[in-house]
Amino acid sequence: MTNINPPAEAADAAPDTPAGTTGASPVPRRSGSGGWRSLVPRWSPKLGIGLGLVGAIALFGILGPVLTGDPDTIRDISMTPPGGEFWLGTTQTGQDVLALLAHSTCGSLQIGLLVGVLATVLSAVFGVIGGYVGGAVDEGFSLFSNVMLVIPGLPLVIVIAGFVPVEQRGWWTIAVVLAITGWAASARVLRAQTLSLRNRDYVAAAKVAGEKPWRIVSVEILPNLLPLMASQFVFAVILAILSEAGLSFLGLGASGSDTLGTMLYYAQNGFALQREAWWWFGPPGLVIALFGCGLSLINFSIDEIINPKLRTVPAASRRTRGGAGSAERKTRAAAARSVPGRDESGRDAVLTVENLDVVYRGEKPVHAVKDVSLTLGRGEILGLAGESGCGKTTLAYAINRLHRPPAEVTSGSVVFHDRDGSHLDLLALGREELRAFRWSKLSMVFQGAMNALNPVISIRAQLEDVLTTHRPEMPARARRERCAEVLRLVGVDPRRLDSFPHELSGGMRQRVMIAMALLLDPQVMIMDEPTTALDVVVQRGILREILRFRDELGFAVVFITHDLPLLLELSDRIAVMREGEVVEYATADEIHRAPRHPYTRRLLDSFPSLTGERGAFIRTGESSTRERTGTGTGPDTGTGTGTGTGTETIVKEAGSR
Amino acid sequence: MRYYARKLGFYLVALWAALTLNFFIPRMMPGNPVDTLMAKLQQRGGATDPSVRRSYEILLGTDTGEPLVVQYLSYLANMFRGDLGVSVSVFPAEVATVIGDALPWTIVLVGLATALSFLLGVGLGALVGWKRGSWLDSLIPATTVLAAVPYFWLALILVALFATGLSWFPLNGGYDVILTPGWDGEFIASAVYHGILPALTIVISSVGGWLLGMRNMMVSTVSEDYILTAQAKGLRDRRIMTRYAARNAVLPSVAGFAISLGFVVSGSVITEQVFSYPGIGSRLLQAVENNDYALMQGIFLVITVAVLGANLVVDLLYGLIDPRTRAGN
Amino acid sequence: MTTLEVRGLTKDFSIRSGLRHSRLRAVDNVSFTLTPGRTVALVGESGSGKSTVARMIARLEKPTAGEITATGPDGGRVADRAYRDHVQMVFQDPFASLNPFHTVEHHLARPLKLHGRARGKAEIAQKVEQLLERVNLTPAADIARRRPHELSGGQRQRVAIARALAPGAQVVIADEPVSMLDVSIRLGVLNLLARLQREDDLAVLYITHDLATARHFSDDILVMYRGRVVERGPADEVILNPQHPYTRILAAAAPDPDARDRARLTEATGIEPAGSSALPGDDPGCAFRDRCPVAFEACTRRPEDFAVGHDHHAKCWLHSGEGRAEQCRARPAAGGTATA
Repeated sequence: MTNINPPAEAADAAPDTPAGTTGASPVPRRSGSGGWRSLVPRWSPKLGIGLGLVGAIALFGILGPVLTGDPDTIRDISMTPPGGEFWLGTTQTGQDVLALLAHSTCGSLQIGLLVGVLATVLSAVFGVIGGYVGGAVDEGFSLFSNVMLVIPGLPLVIVIAGFVPVEQRGWWTIAVVLAITGWAASARVLRAQTLSLRNRDYVAAAKVAGEKPWRIVSVEILPNLLPLMASQFVFAVILAILSEAGLSFLGLGASGSDTLGTMLYYAQNGFALQREAWWWFGPPGLVIALFGCGLSLINFSIDEIINPKLRTVPAASRRTRGGAGSAERKTRAAAARSVPGRDESGRDAVLTVENLDVVYRGEKPVHAVKDVSLTLGRGEILGLAGESGCGKTTLAYAINRLHRPPAEVTSGSVVFHDRDGSHLDLLALGREELRAFRWSKLSMVFQGAMNALNPVISIRAQLEDVLTTHRPEMPARARRERCAEVLRLVGVDPRRLDSFPHELSGGMRQRVMIAMALLLDPQVMIMDEPTTALDVVVQRGILREILRFRDELGFAVVFITHDLPLLLELSDRIAVMREGEVVEYATADEIHRAPRHPYTRRLLDSFPSLTGERGAFIRTGESSTRERTGTGTGPDTGTGTGTGTGTETIVKEAGSR
Repeated sequence: MRYYARKLGFYLVALWAALTLNFFIPRMMPGNPVDTLMAKLQQRGGATDPSVRRSYEILLGTDTGEPLVVQYLSYLANMFRGDLGVSVSVFPAEVATVIGDALPWTIVLVGLATALSFLLGVGLGALVGWKRGSWLDSLIPATTVLAAVPYFWLALILVALFATGLSWFPLNGGYDVILTPGWDGEFIASAVYHGILPALTIVISSVGGWLLGMRNMMVSTVSEDYILTAQAKGLRDRRIMTRYAARNAVLPSVAGFAISLGFVVSGSVITEQVFSYPGIGSRLLQAVENNDYALMQGIFLVITVAVLGANLVVDLLYGLIDPRTRAGN
Repeated sequence: MTTLEVRGLTKDFSIRSGLRHSRLRAVDNVSFTLTPGRTVALVGESGSGKSTVARMIARLEKPTAGEITATGPDGGRVADRAYRDHVQMVFQDPFASLNPFHTVEHHLARPLKLHGRARGKAEIAQKVEQLLERVNLTPAADIARRRPHELSGGQRQRVAIARALAPGAQVVIADEPVSMLDVSIRLGVLNLLARLQREDDLAVLYITHDLATARHFSDDILVMYRGRVVERGPADEVILNPQHPYTRILAAAAPDPDARDRARLTEATGIEPAGSSALPGDDPGCAFRDRCPVAFEACTRRPEDFAVGHDHHAKCWLHSGEGRAEQCRARPAAGGTATA
């Protein structure tokens, strides 16, 4: 395993992505994380049930022993089923099962809590300190926890318990042994997280500010680990209660302690099962199961803090899949019948978008694309320019119906005019028709090919997948040849077919993506910031090739980027988008010479010319471009908040996905 | 190659750690286990010849004043020779023989049940994660209950229901005692019949963990860009789900196999006890009850080696399914 | 007068591959000087080592060799203990450089306290507000209470700039300070830096991959390629009259609406970018020669700095006597390889 670690270059390698709207859904998101409030799980029925279960059982464990009296009182009534004086019946010696259960629950909770705390502390010490300090300490700590992890815990505990005579097997001994055998897994998780936090810029910033290491760990890193530690604690508690129950059931638990495990041990030895005394035998196990279930449900909510992707999709969005209502269908059908438009230069249209609206459903619906109409001529390069959150990516994805819930096309039409003269209403296509349409007529190149390629299967498999799906009749030999051919087209050695994505450089991966897009000889190619993550020289080479293919193969391109100067060089026509609207739609030449909309002018002004005169705006202190700070962009403004001329909107991709 | 060398090295270290732990535990514990053992042995009419005592001393330690290093080295030598001492509870059998008889039962039972529960859990988890927002989501709370049920309690309930109540399955044991163990159809059928309930217990209580882990990873994976690419490519849903989403989502489950396997093995030890299954778990408890320290330690070692071996196999498998580990960085 | 001097800065990263250790020279003998009131831009592509230089100056990485000397206003060398009062850094990603857990106030109050710039609650609160007002974040009291996720990207970067100013730093290292921001607010943030620089007479090291802002925002430009500074000189000189083949290619590749010309795109720029160098890590020769359209025999030797104009240097053998002879010889044959 090669261990290369020039961490500084990580920041360098990061693209100048102006917070792209990658992924089809710049979903209006709930405020990310921040402060103590961020540690409070979001309310959900699951959390409610979980808290209810845990609370009720804890309460029973605390108050029960006080209210139920001495469980050891022996009565001469033998085994009685529940009812009357004894709500849960009695044991064979006449002990009140309810009282037993209350005391046992209390005992189990105590041991669970103690072990949970001990194990979490141990795992924090080994995981967090190891992860932060790094180097030999980390190697040692991590080896130690991995070894502890693979040595099976319970058999070890059983062996240790076997050596310790019963009278010396105290409550603490059991707790400590359980903690020692149970911390390793969470140490591993905490270490991984600490390693990632350690390399965050805010930790570097704290170092630059001159903070001491202990303060960096406790003030900058630890609070961000809390959700994870809470989740690990919950796990440790469940595990401890289960393990202790197992030990006690085997008669190896702490001497003289009352836990649910010992209760089951006595029930088993009293032949509760054989005598069908379910009231004696059932409740202890049920309490453990329900308590564990409650904790797991709480853990779900904690997990959603740690990994926001797990938050459930709002139910309202599920309608979108089948397309929209019938009223809209009519307008679409009408559109489909209409004669294909021509663009100004007289080219036949290959794609017509009319009055398209896309809305992100949610508590606060966001109108991401508003009444957009565009015509893409055959062989044309149409530039779609705008800043993050302007709806350009949403629009592009909606054309191919790749938008994901909660995004929804509410009205408008998208019609594809095929080479053979037929017209396809894309928004009305059935699932199977849509699937067949995708890639064969319209292919896409996404931003950041690192993530657009499946990391675990070879380039060949990913290319051939397209052919086996869309050209099932194609012989294997021809498939292989076609794959090699497209790779040669984009200047990648066909021997690379057997490589995996991580073995290729960024530029090469993007070339592979373009090769894949060429496979089926499509008529339209949508390119979403295809070169943003690349160095300028590489970017230039790829753009050159896109132009060459367009000229040779004659497909039309929708090119999405924030880089207006690049579009001015590359495209035939440009649509400038802001807040979901196309504010200017003209030829590249017109936009360059005489931009009409103030926003277009502002966008153009944002790119100082490389060779031209120094603009008056630069290095004169701040001028017109002052941000509005009074109201601030709220946390819920994913899309389309770039209001007033001076306001910026950034949706960081990592945060929103 | 380096990945495999690293993994192999790690498991050697882990094995050494387990052996060392095994060496020190009896020495750190109160009492003099060797005397206890010798006394027991005498009770059973066993020969108290010095070589037996010597072998116990090496295993468990005494106050003979021999330097710890020397004890440790002879202990390691004995372990490598497979000399685990003589069992007192099943005297005069050697520990190694006792374990050898019990081990296949456990390996087949726990191995099959774990494989089954892994496949079932991962498969269901992939489906639940892929179809998020559908009725399948309601499976999740149910699985959390299953994951929190104590193995032995579930085993007892199953016994009460299906063995005592309905008499569908035998109460306990690994095979019908009237049969002689052998590779004949009748015996195997009997063993399978006896193994169903214990296996069911293990599967039911461990499937939830796999399912939840897989489901969560699946949900994360579905929002990756390469899933979007696959959809844009016009691939069929089933293919995207298996080859693009599940293929990636399963990696952490496989990488985290060690954690889960520990749970399963621990649970199955107790499960065997409930069913009086002739496996290694029942033997371990029998040894603990009889203060058969040599057998106890032997079994602990064997369980550890088995778990290490299983993890090693899974890690090597991981190298096959994740090309990034093979590439050497 | 000098505020920060960097001499012979070198950084090796060790690459472990099996049992063999090899080293990757990320930064190779880089020297420059930062002076008050002036901005030096460090330009290069990803992997050129420019961020490593920044992190070494900010003392986040230890140099393998070389010296970084800070000089105080009194002309004396800044002691190690006071170094962080003197040199501060603005990070690239405002989403990552502020701790999501803490308020804006925390981010500014900590450096104030640590560097003894303010004592007591009232004074700290007052200084925090002053800082926020200096970076145009008003109403300051309201902003101070917010957490990073309640701010936009530009606002966050302003907070990060305020944090760098809090200890009273004389040198600010700005590592791609606007590349993660939306295009329309980039100039605003750069102009803010320029104003603060004027007001406090700061020395600024501006690290970027964007030649256009480097030209307009800085006085001098250093171009880095694979750890080495290949060209240095006054900003306009380097951009408008590049002398190293690499700088020429970079300048030619940058989109430039004023030079809008489809031919520029379709015409070959001369090099096919390689993903990683074909040259061994310890190769002494010019690191660019495997991509260079005009490489010749001399390039296998370690290139020297040649003066190519007033204060303008290029590390390229083309500017040596033999290089000029080579150019004369090659010109008729290689007329097609346009390099500018």
